[in-house]
Amino acid sequence: MKYVIIGAGVAGIEAAKTIRQNDPAGEILMISADTYVHSRCMLHKYISGERDEEGLDFTEKDFFQRYQVEWKKGVRARKISPDAKEIDLDSGDRVSYDKLLIAAGADSFIPPVGELRKASNVYGLRNLPDAQAIVREARQAEQVLVIGSGLVGLDAAYGLLERGKKLTIVEMADRILPMQLDARAAKAYQERFEKAGVRFVLERKASQAVREADGKIHKVILDNGEEIPCDLIIVAAGVRSALACLEGSGIAAERGITVDASMKTSAPDIYAAGDITALSGIWPNAADQGRVAGKNMCGINASYTDTYAVKNTINFFGLVTLCVGRIREEEGDQVRIREDRRQYKRIILRDGKVEGILFQGNIAGGGIWQYLIKNKIDISKINKDVFDITYGDFYHVGQRGTYQWVPE
Amino acid sequence: MNQCYGCSTCKSADKPLEQFIAGLPMETSHHRVDSQSTKCAFGLQGVCCRLCANGPCRVTPESPRGICGANADTIVTRNLLRAVASGSGCYIHVVENTALNVKNTARTKGEIKGVNTLNRLASIFGIEEEDIHRRAEAVADAVLKDLYLPEYEKMALTEKMAYKPRYDRWKELGILPGGAKSEVFHGVVKCSTNLNSDPVNMLLDCLKLGISTGIYGLVLTNLLNDVVLGEPEIRLAPVGLRVIDPDYINIMITGHQHSMFTFLQNRLTDEDVKVKAREAGAKGFKLVGCTCVGQDLQLRGAHYTEIFDGHAGNNYTSEAILATGGIDAVISEFNCTLPGIEPICDQLKIKQICIDNVAKKANAQLKEFDFQNRPAVTDQIIEEIVEAYKARRGSVPMNLMKNHGNDNTLTGISEISLKKFLGGSWQPLIDLIVAGNIKGVAGVVGCSNLTAGGHDVLTVDLVKELIARDIIVLTAGCSSGGIENCGLMTPEAAQYAGPKLRAVCEKLGIPPVLNFGPCLAIGRLEIVATELAEALNVDLPQLPLVLSAAQWLEEQALADGCYGLALGLPLHLGLPPFITGSKTAVQVLTEDMKTLTGGQVIINSDAKESADILERIILEKRQGLNI
Amino acid sequence: MKRIIVEYEKCDGCKNCSAACMQAHRETPGTIYDLDLTDPKNESRNFILKDSGGHYRPVFCRHCDEPECVKSCMSGALCKDPESGHVFYDETRCGSCFMCVMNCPFGVLKPDTVTQSKVIKCDFCVNAGGEPSCVASCPKKAIHVEEV
Repeated sequence: MKYVIIGAGVAGIEAAKTIRQNDPAGEILMISADTYVHSRCMLHKYISGERDEEGLDFTEKDFFQRYQVEWKKGVRARKISPDAKEIDLDSGDRVSYDKLLIAAGADSFIPPVGELRKASNVYGLRNLPDAQAIVREARQAEQVLVIGSGLVGLDAAYGLLERGKKLTIVEMADRILPMQLDARAAKAYQERFEKAGVRFVLERKASQAVREADGKIHKVILDNGEEIPCDLIIVAAGVRSALACLEGSGIAAERGITVDASMKTSAPDIYAAGDITALSGIWPNAADQGRVAGKNMCGINASYTDTYAVKNTINFFGLVTLCVGRIREEEGDQVRIREDRRQYKRIILRDGKVEGILFQGNIAGGGIWQYLIKNKIDISKINKDVFDITYGDFYHVGQRGTYQWVPE
Repeated sequence: MNQCYGCSTCKSADKPLEQFIAGLPMETSHHRVDSQSTKCAFGLQGVCCRLCANGPCRVTPESPRGICGANADTIVTRNLLRAVASGSGCYIHVVENTALNVKNTARTKGEIKGVNTLNRLASIFGIEEEDIHRRAEAVADAVLKDLYLPEYEKMALTEKMAYKPRYDRWKELGILPGGAKSEVFHGVVKCSTNLNSDPVNMLLDCLKLGISTGIYGLVLTNLLNDVVLGEPEIRLAPVGLRVIDPDYINIMITGHQHSMFTFLQNRLTDEDVKVKAREAGAKGFKLVGCTCVGQDLQLRGAHYTEIFDGHAGNNYTSEAILATGGIDAVISEFNCTLPGIEPICDQLKIKQICIDNVAKKANAQLKEFDFQNRPAVTDQIIEEIVEAYKARRGSVPMNLMKNHGNDNTLTGISEISLKKFLGGSWQPLIDLIVAGNIKGVAGVVGCSNLTAGGHDVLTVDLVKELIARDIIVLTAGCSSGGIENCGLMTPEAAQYAGPKLRAVCEKLGIPPVLNFGPCLAIGRLEIVATELAEALNVDLPQLPLVLSAAQWLEEQALADGCYGLALGLPLHLGLPPFITGSKTAVQVLTEDMKTLTGGQVIINSDAKESADILERIILEKRQGLNI
Repeated sequence: MKRIIVEYEKCDGCKNCSAACMQAHRETPGTIYDLDLTDPKNESRNFILKDSGGHYRPVFCRHCDEPECVKSCMSGALCKDPESGHVFYDETRCGSCFMCVMNCPFGVLKPDTVTQSKVIKCDFCVNAGGEPSCVASCPKKAIHVEEV
């Protein structure tokens, strides 16, 4: 059996591991544009100079030897032929497969504003090559403009602050991290970034950006006419699934590749996992999809069921935040807040169930909230303040000493 | 399988005893060490507070203060003061009863066995009474008067008893004690809920309680006992379980108040009483020494050769003594009488009689000591014991251990007998110290416990380490009971000493460890220290003298220890007294104390390391004296 | 693999396991007597929770068969050791994202209190020969190690 995996992100790596665990003899080939296996969640540590390329590797030591995976790095799949069960690579090679996993991830989205897409000093922050290019460009840059204050935008800013750059961040919403935080929690981060020298321009978007003679954009004009001078621009406006390799393959895709619960695509023996499916943008889920795909590729039935993805952790300047579920308050919600000098906690309750939590400053033991939210557990019978609920209120010890939420 | 109760008994320095206990068919404290080996960390550090209904509160990184706001320093020092006040109360109870017994003996024109001591006390107190009994009564009254003073009136005898440089320092520090009983009262009030929160203030109170405990509870109790029970005389005596002679009706005595036994001791050798024993089938009566009252009897054994068989062992040997089957009754009057002896007494039909209400054991018959009615009460006690003897002998198996211990332990050492032995002056000892033949003096005192390595393990190991370094060891308390049963108080033990000390011991025919007797005799050691300091014209902290309560056990030991600190002596403890949760308490006791009184606490549970530290201190002190 | 089995009915809430855990993981050498119980650097990896009825519910890392913490780790700092089956944490690899905290369904994990940069995680006292200190310290024997 020959397994081919396109992509060396967490979905691909987890799939390879799973396949090897279930098929000791099969041939596994991994093809990736990436030349380093790296954790995309740690690119800011590369930008800041805290870690080098190897420091971003999230796999076990000697991963490829240990799991007997052949790795073709620095190559892209150009064309997939499901009928012939072959893949053409941009290196000119052609490889065949029995089972294929497409886990090629996603690419940064640069919005069509002015000449952002054409300029040589505009980058997304998605892959190590992005981070490498940013570090290179930053050597000559003094002033950096970050468009978008989501997690990626702030990651980039955080890393560049370490390099002593002067940063401006433009955000369309009325607060930073608008997808994850409420105004109060966002303010806490904003203040910390501002204290570190970052200037935020909220409720504004870039409207004009023109290249100069050197091919770079040196100022961006906002929708209110304000001019932001810059030597380097980082655009953090989201990602798009890397669907280019599907062209002509007939594999069904919308925003991402369409998959069923077993991570199978519309084409026989072809699976997809990770960001390319556009199912969720977060690490644990991509990893899970990779494992589910890997099992099914080995003929073991498995389903991607733990699809819950409305969850995030944030850590800047040692201020940690955990947010799970709904952030925005709706009519009929009961919103509870507990706040002191060390923590801000907000819980959205509805019909005796927790719909969302936002914990900032103290997330100790916070893992239970994801379970409560995604499983819609009724907590109204627990004779405790909601903030004091712990796993102790659901405690069950099962076979072999495992903990359980519901008795066996 | 065999008949042993359990095979997980703790270690003992006394290996034959360890084996004996491991083979017993009944449970002893040695069996329980293992199942109690999990100690509460908060308790160990002294940071558990149960002083109010909000508690128990414990200090953790997430909760550095109790609900009331008390921090670790307050909680720890409150707990310590509470323990020291209790411990002081125990010793003050002992001296009070002793003084009352002297007084009553004097009023009834009873026998004054220690005329020299009486005269010594009368002279110190400034009492001039021609009549010996009036003199004794006046001495006892002077002590009692001080004990009963209010807290705000300083006790009169403190200045008379204390070494002047010490007294002056105490006065400077404001720690001269008022009435000793009132000081206990003051201490327990101070550490009650939401009163004092100042750790240093409470630690100074501990020192104050140490002074009243030391001068009254220790020093004066010894001397008052000497008056009515006779002065110690140096001799060799048998020790260990071997002293139990099954041909006699054997009474094990436990506690701390020897003067309560005066009448009984005499009565048991009266012919009409001996007849009762013979009628029951025994040769007569014997007292078997256990705990400190046994040590006290051993110390004065020269006066009681007929009735006293010898000292069998310390507090944690008491169960083994009973388990021999050779004991017919236990008469107890104070602490170190373990609750654990009760089921053993039940099982072996041993009669338990308690003669002091404060130490009433659950299944003991209370026959309170009553000076007025002592003939009648004593005879009742004797009747009970004879009945117990008759009921149990024959039906209870004997498990004697005739080889345990030794026959030639040197005993009878006191500040007087030792000086007499040296020719009436401390100069020979001083010369030996100056010449370096004796590097220094270590008082290894206090209790026996089962947790610092096991039963007497640290104590005995430390003593061996010290004598090997030519440091002479003086002992008092249950530590003595363990050390003597291990043979370190026989003249032959000189072989364990370093070459210089060994030569001294062999020349004088003495062991390198000198036994002063009960824990009360810590007071005697301190008289020796004071007299040495006087002879050298220095203050106590300058002497090459250290104290170790290596296996301190209980609250009394902590009060004793506070006296040692007030005297300015280095005090080694094998286990911390539940204070390490407080940085302030640790700092004050182990460091700042050096500038307060000259003393310091050293905590170390390793014998060799402890000996190294104590030796270093001795060498520093020698250097300070240019010797 | 070996797991700490919890017999919660026996727990008296004395927190000795927590103190033993702090002692086992302190940075400075010393004994339980001098463990600084006020230093937030000394953190316990186990917790005595209570349910609303006041019953003690001791929570110790399960070193799960399918550890959510490992599955969510984006740096490779958390790994399930194939030999012992225990989940080990390599502080030097950790990216401080705390997705493991978010994903532990039993709330066992937490960021360290002082720096919020590393995860406080049971290591089965691997440096002490894999004999968990908490187990040794429990006076009620409410926890014991079992091969599961």
